[in-house]
Amino acid sequence: MNAEILIIGAGISGTAIAWNLARKGQKNIVVVDSGYPACGATGRCGAGVREQWATKMNCLMAQKSIAFFEQANEILEYPDDVEFKQEGYLILACTPEEDAQFTKNVALQNSLGIPSRKVTREEAKQIVPHLNEKAILSATFCGKDGHLNPFKMTDAFYRAAKRLGVVFLFPETVEGIDVSDGKVVAVRTDKRTIATSKVVDAAGGFSGEIAKMAGVSIPVYPERHEILVTEPIEKIQGPMVMSFSKNLYCQQVPHGSFVMGRGDPGAKHDHDISSGWRFLDEMAKTVREFLPLVAKLRVIRQWAGSYTMSPDRQPILGTVPEVEGFYLACGFSGHGFMFAPMTGLLMSEVILGEPTTLDMTELSLARFHQNQAIEIEKSVV
Amino acid sequence: MRIEQHPILDFPERKPIAFTFEGGPMLGREGDTIAAALHANGISALSESSELHRPRGFYCAIGNCSSCHMVVDGIPNVKTCITPLREGMAVTRQAGKGAYR
Repeated sequence: MNAEILIIGAGISGTAIAWNLARKGQKNIVVVDSGYPACGATGRCGAGVREQWATKMNCLMAQKSIAFFEQANEILEYPDDVEFKQEGYLILACTPEEDAQFTKNVALQNSLGIPSRKVTREEAKQIVPHLNEKAILSATFCGKDGHLNPFKMTDAFYRAAKRLGVVFLFPETVEGIDVSDGKVVAVRTDKRTIATSKVVDAAGGFSGEIAKMAGVSIPVYPERHEILVTEPIEKIQGPMVMSFSKNLYCQQVPHGSFVMGRGDPGAKHDHDISSGWRFLDEMAKTVREFLPLVAKLRVIRQWAGSYTMSPDRQPILGTVPEVEGFYLACGFSGHGFMFAPMTGLLMSEVILGEPTTLDMTELSLARFHQNQAIEIEKSVV
Repeated sequence: MRIEQHPILDFPERKPIAFTFEGGPMLGREGDTIAAALHANGISALSESSELHRPRGFYCAIGNCSSCHMVVDGIPNVKTCITPLREGMAVTRQAGKGAYR
């Protein structure tokens, strides 16, 4: 078997890259996944999408991705619905430092055309009536932000790519990448060898291991993040409520359930995706402080998934200097889902040698090797 | 309906408990769950399905299936199949998924 382009990983990034390549007329694209579409971090994510970021690159990635999500059903001719609920993010400032930082963030966002704004406690309470406004100093709000169904969004990319002739192989596990004279020549799986000169590493939490197979070392590691969902109730909350300093995000999804999560500063750098009672305990206490009403609801289920952390919390996209034909789309640090439309577009441009929609310098692997100061994104839970 | 007499088991007389369903008075007995008391009064439709609004009744009886969720004393999503009946409870059917304020 051979492939013009082989993509490893059928999550939101891999399927978005495949579709973008296929719609530009690229033939013989193969996507390999050890499980099935969205079985990794994509299907485990909180699935919020927001334009409110602290670095210009993340703002631009998010802004253009959300413009795509707004039209996703039509563009991808999806017979179902990706369930884009566009009712904003309310980001809480709980410390004077956050309050000051958010003023800067909003100025940056506004300069890029993102319609975010600072709001007072009282305005925040009007936006989310069951918010305990006494627990915050101020907040920022952007109505363009929202939430999608991650399974359906991936399914939409998957079906559209398949219609255009993309071949999906799963469950099929990549076991090796053959490199000769500094060029990719083949990918070996547990079922066959696929001759190819172009490989895309969109393997999420396992992207470090995949890169190693090609002899490439990348500064990423997987980190467990836990999440839970409550019983559904009638709608009481439009926006996602989020706090970086208090380590919380909480969203009521269209079905009526609340989905909420937080990071664990002590999480090990491994592939553990088990669930623990400590998270339940900490999550319940945190949400009770800000959204007391939500604390009355029963927890239906909890789960976990891997963030793939990069040194500056921004994705690593593009080529690698050591191996020709090896491309990276990884290191999303917990926001790969919301950036996927741009990931797909930019990667297709890089692979096909087209001019890129955004300057890729800040996203390249090389940024970590040049001893230059990198701007670290702080707006991450 | 209640089993009052049984060839092997005894059912001693239990104290009546007054409560209301949709505002109307009803009598249950001490030791009843809310759902059991409603059944004894002929009420078998406890909730409705969320999409098609078809009646739903007593199903798992162990607090798992959410088929018996009702509003009790203003609190939505009460599992009536495992919640003991108490004197003076106001029980109503719930529209939708439960409205919290």
